[in-house]
Amino acid sequence: MGFAMRMPLNSQIIKPASVRNLYINGAKNGLEFDVQLAYYRGHYLSDIDLLEVFVDGERMPTEAVTFEVNGKELPIYKLSWAVTEFWSQVEPARIRVIKRGGLAPGEHEIRLNLMLRVPYMCIGPDHNYMPLDSGDVVRVEIGEEEQG
Amino acid sequence: MSEIKLGATLFCYGTDYARYEYDFEECVKQAALAGAAGYEIVGTQMIPSYPNVSDEFLGLVNRLKQTYGIGPVGYGANNDRGMRPDRDLTDDEMLADAIIDLKAANRLGCKVMRAQYMLSPTAFERLAPYAELFDVKVGIEIHNPETPSSPAMKKYLEVIERTGSKYLGFVPDFGCLAVAPNRPKWIRALEAGVKEEHLQMAADLRTSGVPLEEAEKRLKEAGAHPAIAGALQGMYGFVQFRPKSELPGMLEDLKAILPYSFEMHGKFHYLTEDCVEPSIPYEEILGMLKEIAYDGYIICEYEDALMCGGREFTRRMLTMEKRILGIS
Repeated sequence: MGFAMRMPLNSQIIKPASVRNLYINGAKNGLEFDVQLAYYRGHYLSDIDLLEVFVDGERMPTEAVTFEVNGKELPIYKLSWAVTEFWSQVEPARIRVIKRGGLAPGEHEIRLNLMLRVPYMCIGPDHNYMPLDSGDVVRVEIGEEEQG
Repeated sequence: MSEIKLGATLFCYGTDYARYEYDFEECVKQAALAGAAGYEIVGTQMIPSYPNVSDEFLGLVNRLKQTYGIGPVGYGANNDRGMRPDRDLTDDEMLADAIIDLKAANRLGCKVMRAQYMLSPTAFERLAPYAELFDVKVGIEIHNPETPSSPAMKKYLEVIERTGSKYLGFVPDFGCLAVAPNRPKWIRALEAGVKEEHLQMAADLRTSGVPLEEAEKRLKEAGAHPAIAGALQGMYGFVQFRPKSELPGMLEDLKAILPYSFEMHGKFHYLTEDCVEPSIPYEEILGMLKEIAYDGYIICEYEDALMCGGREFTRRMLTMEKRILGIS
């Protein structure tokens, strides 16, 4: 990856306390967590160039991941076309991942690769804008009695 | 009697806001306590219903005006030309978005909107009749490394002069009048182990007009710590500076566009305990504005590169401005 701007104004991008199992029909079958945009201002979702989730090093299938903000839960492919959906920097988005069995009790590593364009910072011709890295990695402990 | 009014952009508290240490109300309160007579709001930063202003947010703004005595006077627009995934927005699209920004500014009661140069001179020109209807003046921000006389800005000046529109102009940012190295980058470099003599050498190379690549080479030869890179990039980039001997000419450049400058941005990066900005010559800048009786807001803007929050420095900044201008 080449140069990208990094502006973690808040030390927590993924909010560790928000990581928890996702329940489908009463059974652990996924995970969810909140992420704050690491920049001084908000962005339209169409500024998101890349969003990937890795759990314990395993890449989650794109179709199993969603992004929710402003009360709308979107599949990842729709983010590029969400030109009217604005993500405020103080409203964390919720990432949901469908994953069979969810997170077993114990420690887990959640990695979010999240790249955006800074859409007013043109750095060259042909739609070339400053890349912004709003990704994060957290290690969290999932307890035995964890409930959805 | 000077007509200069002093304000602050709530962007000054951007770090505090992102850390949830200040909510919107606290930002307004702190600006009032610092001595601002009005504030600028950056739409993309603090309007929850961006790009529109909801009844709820307008209600909050009005309630805070009652409580703290200050309201929005300037609207900071972002002109997001790169917001589509596939191509740049066209002038037609940029214009349409800028009209939405005018509506937001008008609804908040702002008389000035600061725009960025992603809005082309052509779209800027087409915005004039809309700006007039909303009674919001649109100023293109002149931000370091641009200057009042740089080629990009001259294209806007041509539009302003040719149309004669009272609604088109500039918002000069005093950061483009810097005459010394940026203090936070200097501090950060020292903390990272860079020797002060090497930073001074970098500043001297920059002042004497040595190109960046050559300066990098010479610093490396002199044994400078690699962490000098950030400070050096700044000297040639967004926080570049010119020798103080050039200041009179820079001030003349600024004077030439003052008739079209209906708001100024008082950039600051650091203020010493005795309220001095080490890189931007405020005595000379404000002295000139006072002398010619500039009529408009100077909105101070803190760039929190030190990520220490805006409260203390914004207070010092307004104290400094008031001292120089003789405002009590």
